[in-house]
Amino acid sequence: MQSLYALLQMYETEYIEDYKKSWKKVKLSNAEDLLKVAKALKANGLKTIATVSPTDFLEKNIIEMNYFFEDLISKRNCWLKCDISRELDKCEIESITPLFKGANWHEREAYSMFGVKFLHHPDLRPIIISQDFYGKAPFRKDFDWDAHEANTLQNIQTIVDAFKTEENENDKGIDAESSETVLNWGPTHPASGPIRLKVHCDGEDVISIDPDIGFVWRALEHLVTKKDFIGAIVAVERLCFMDNINSMIAYAQAVEEIAGTEITEFAKWMRVLLGEVSRISSHAMGMGGFYNALGLHTVAMWNMDMREFFLDFLESYSGARIATAAIEAGGVRYGLQENMLEELQLALDKFDATKDDMRAIFVKNPTMKMRAAKQGIITAQEVEEYSLCGVVARASGVKVDVRLDEPYAAYDKINMDYVTQKTGSANDRLVNLFEELEQSVDIIKQAKKHIEECIKSGKFNPTKDHMVKVPKKLPAGEAISRVEWSRGEVLMHLVTQEKATSPYRLKMKAPSFNHTMMLDKLLKGQTLSDIPLIFGSLYICQGDLDR
Amino acid sequence: MLKIYDFFAHAKSESLWMAHFCTGCCSLEMAAAMGPRYDWERYGYLPTPTPRQADLLIITGLVTKKILPALLRTYAQMPEPKYVLALGACSFDGGPYNDSLAVIKNPTEILPADVFVAGCPPRPEAIIAGLEEIKEKMKQGIPSAASQGGLYKEMEF
Repeated sequence: MQSLYALLQMYETEYIEDYKKSWKKVKLSNAEDLLKVAKALKANGLKTIATVSPTDFLEKNIIEMNYFFEDLISKRNCWLKCDISRELDKCEIESITPLFKGANWHEREAYSMFGVKFLHHPDLRPIIISQDFYGKAPFRKDFDWDAHEANTLQNIQTIVDAFKTEENENDKGIDAESSETVLNWGPTHPASGPIRLKVHCDGEDVISIDPDIGFVWRALEHLVTKKDFIGAIVAVERLCFMDNINSMIAYAQAVEEIAGTEITEFAKWMRVLLGEVSRISSHAMGMGGFYNALGLHTVAMWNMDMREFFLDFLESYSGARIATAAIEAGGVRYGLQENMLEELQLALDKFDATKDDMRAIFVKNPTMKMRAAKQGIITAQEVEEYSLCGVVARASGVKVDVRLDEPYAAYDKINMDYVTQKTGSANDRLVNLFEELEQSVDIIKQAKKHIEECIKSGKFNPTKDHMVKVPKKLPAGEAISRVEWSRGEVLMHLVTQEKATSPYRLKMKAPSFNHTMMLDKLLKGQTLSDIPLIFGSLYICQGDLDR
Repeated sequence: MLKIYDFFAHAKSESLWMAHFCTGCCSLEMAAAMGPRYDWERYGYLPTPTPRQADLLIITGLVTKKILPALLRTYAQMPEPKYVLALGACSFDGGPYNDSLAVIKNPTEILPADVFVAGCPPRPEAIIAGLEEIKEKMKQGIPSAASQGGLYKEMEF
């Protein structure tokens, strides 16, 4: 295996830098080299692409493309940049989707938001944005949102018209005599949430699935640029409410990196503690959602009962059950009082009291095993190919976990290991979810013990140590920050300009996007009754799917 | 005669079924309200998968432009009398997404709501209190806000 540096040196570059522990940051001089470099990187083992993120520089009249390549096995990463023209008709670059299947939707997103045309992309249609934005590249800095929104009702009419046209054309091209039809699964299906799967089926057999997403598109990446660095937290935490703490950690880390701030040891441990509480609250809902999709609500009820105790802790800590806004650049927002840890102990006791029943009745459930052990199988190779992460990747036996690969906060001092399964079936994902719940509780116990000891010995001052000051104006710079979110890796790419008071560009790569891409592949040839099972097992949240 | 109608109104209000339709993040707290600790079934509420059996539509937080046609269709499919409950800051004025132009800032101008529940997201107790207010409205025979007006009447969807 060639070293990354030697490989990248063969091409004309502006710079090659080491970035963080495992990253190489490189800027290509010519955008035409992209495909060659991507091919070489793939041959070298960097088979996964996290995301494609364009940044619009209005003054320089360029769009800077950012590609984040990852190697899930040997943990080497490459951050590749190149410039392309900003003119709408010349704004084009070679697509890497033929090489990296995981780039498919990310390139479509860049096309929808920035108008970047990807040459030789197999399926370059707009995604996420609603029909009134088609062809308008709303995330460009010179797009006039207010003018666009001057007549909201007319925009809504555009969407309604498109909706009706599609309804009329659904069955066109399908032989009227045959049993083929196009079925809409969602957005009002009880198990779906706001997503619509266009299921082309023949009787009960699924021929293909085309997910239509964007029903909760809030343009968060654009919203943050209108807010200051602290106000942006409100938008970032709404990436998905189920696990909001970890997304705030990712954002706060990026801001701290640009500001050059080092947070206190106490704040690091608090981030671990809060992050795992948030993960438990999300996993509990995820497990419930999996069974809910199949029509059994007992698991969701049991899990919600347990989850309430963890929310009690968040409430006593931050004053809110869900929208905590508890992580800020510079540390954690509030100090810690002793009675809060007692509240946490109640939650841990509750979990310990129910976990054995939970495992015996639901995780080892023979009916579920029979139903799900052979469904929705994702191989380790597909995980790399489609850039899957989190529970889905680990259930296929791939050892990825940002907490261990690139430890942040105080995770380097935590005793933990990868939780993996072997086959990658729907049932394995359920089992993995439960085992990760146990792991999170174990991490909370370690963190709680450490914090208590350090408070006792006077090393931490829980009411004063939680924050260090971060300047309100940041220098020009950019940073990427990765955290292990409850559904997988979240990568945030933050760009700031000189004396900035608000982010210039924030790209949020969220895991559900890639997982939804898998639906078509997993469900082809299955029956309609498998849709809820496989959809539920992929642990998809529409919040981070649409952003 | 009046007494019998009163009885019907009472009976209707005590078994309030809601169309299971999530448009935004407040649905998470709605799920918590269904959960064991708050358990709204004690009050006779039940989520139903089909709008044809529902008495109540809950706007769970933000409404984007894209989901609005689906929301209005769901409402149109519900039988009379039907009521609308708006959850959270978003359904009132866009809330934290007020600056985001993909989100409709005042969805209740299009589909008027009978009761607003404040919060981001509102607590489960608040959601149940909001539902109790709807019950009271039904018992008194007050017509729903959406039947009195709203932009949706002039829109195609």
